[in-house]
Amino acid sequence: MTTVLPDVDSIDLSDMEFWALPQEQRDAAFAALRRDRPFAFFEEPELPFIEKGPGYYAIVRHADVEAVSSQPKLFCSGEGATSVANLPVELLEFYGSMISMDDPRHAKIRRIVSKAFTPKMLEALVDDVETITDKLLADARAVAESGDGTFDLVKHVSSPLPLKVICQMMGIPEDDEQLVLDQTNLILSGGDEEFIDDENKALELILGAGQALAGVMERLAEERRTTPTADLTSALIRTEVDGETLTHQEIASFFILLCAAGNETTRTAISNGVYALHQHPEQKTRWMADPSLTKTAVEEIVRWASPVIWMRRTATQDAEVGGHQFNAGDKLIMFYNSANRDEGVFRNADTFDIARDPNPHYGFGAPGPHFCLGAHLARREISVAFRKMFEQMPDLEVAGEPARLRSSFINGIKRMPVRVTGSA
Amino acid sequence: MSDSVRVKVDNELCVGTGICEATAPDLFEIGDDGISHVLKDEVPSELVAAAREAAENCPTRALTLADAG
Repeated sequence: MTTVLPDVDSIDLSDMEFWALPQEQRDAAFAALRRDRPFAFFEEPELPFIEKGPGYYAIVRHADVEAVSSQPKLFCSGEGATSVANLPVELLEFYGSMISMDDPRHAKIRRIVSKAFTPKMLEALVDDVETITDKLLADARAVAESGDGTFDLVKHVSSPLPLKVICQMMGIPEDDEQLVLDQTNLILSGGDEEFIDDENKALELILGAGQALAGVMERLAEERRTTPTADLTSALIRTEVDGETLTHQEIASFFILLCAAGNETTRTAISNGVYALHQHPEQKTRWMADPSLTKTAVEEIVRWASPVIWMRRTATQDAEVGGHQFNAGDKLIMFYNSANRDEGVFRNADTFDIARDPNPHYGFGAPGPHFCLGAHLARREISVAFRKMFEQMPDLEVAGEPARLRSSFINGIKRMPVRVTGSA
Repeated sequence: MSDSVRVKVDNELCVGTGICEATAPDLFEIGDDGISHVLKDEVPSELVAAAREAAENCPTRALTLADAG
């Protein structure tokens, strides 16, 4: 299969219509950029509530993403990592978390929670992940059986699984899970009209979402101050950094980051993984027949899905990457989805191969201090989800086209009908 | 053959990603301080390959291997 690559002059990554294109067309555009214009410059999108910035460079090749990500002193996060525009001051309280900080402060804050996300600590959590998944699959089957044999995979499996796990780790009561889901959906909607129908209200809505989540945190923190537990919220309020506890703002933004990053990303990986296996049934047959492929299959799903599409860095001084000279203040957007399809690194990069090895993908970010905190957790959740689906719903099949999130930032799927036949 | 090696963690660079712990759980452990700790003074010969892999894959490049000398 040969794809004709589009003319690079026709590509505008700031046009939201681009992000509504089918995946194959977006991939072809990035292939063209990698080949013909690896440091393409784009005007920033017009936003109603933020002054338009100077524009940004799209970093699209694997080696260049690595060079930018691994030199945090030259390319910092402190001016913003998750927003192309510099964040308006109103939003900094809720969204100025460690993801948008530089060392040494970033490192000190991250270390408060890093142990909780290590393989040895997560060992204790595996049984919980399995129990949660069993229950979700049983409930999903009941939905299918009481209706037309289908259920929405996103609503019943890929969304609640990581949501319940992260809420449990943070100590968030079950009653608040829906609120956490709704508000983090809004924050990471990327402006998709299903979540934000009037872009003039975007600032208000996103601010409201931050306030709602901070409200959950405050209630919880109040309880934990009198009765600390082993959860992450207790760690956030208890730990001192440089002899001081974290400020209210730091706790709020940290809490919101964990809520959002802990559920949206793994959800996206699971949903895209199920769809990829539907498009490549021979890979599904192969994996089901050989569970020892789970480790490489999970990595390939993360490469293929690239749940978080990009992160931003800002040049702190004049610096060169891949032969291109950048100036201090330049904004660089590292497109992980593109690095993950770089044909110079991945043989048959456009082939979904669950046994791919080596697989040096940047689905969890490229080397550097901001490497995904939840990588080990996500790997476990994804392996459990697929292993259990294969066991309990071996005949699960996609029954309709996925409804894609129109976002440049998250490669999300909002809904995807799947069908199960036969009983467990 | 005296190929005994030591691993050193750079406490400034390490943010406790735990990649080393996943690669060589008998050699590394993230402590309560959120950074990696080497569990053995000298890397046993059977773990040298894993130690190298951990160092190569460390996202913050916080691990270095040196001959114990």
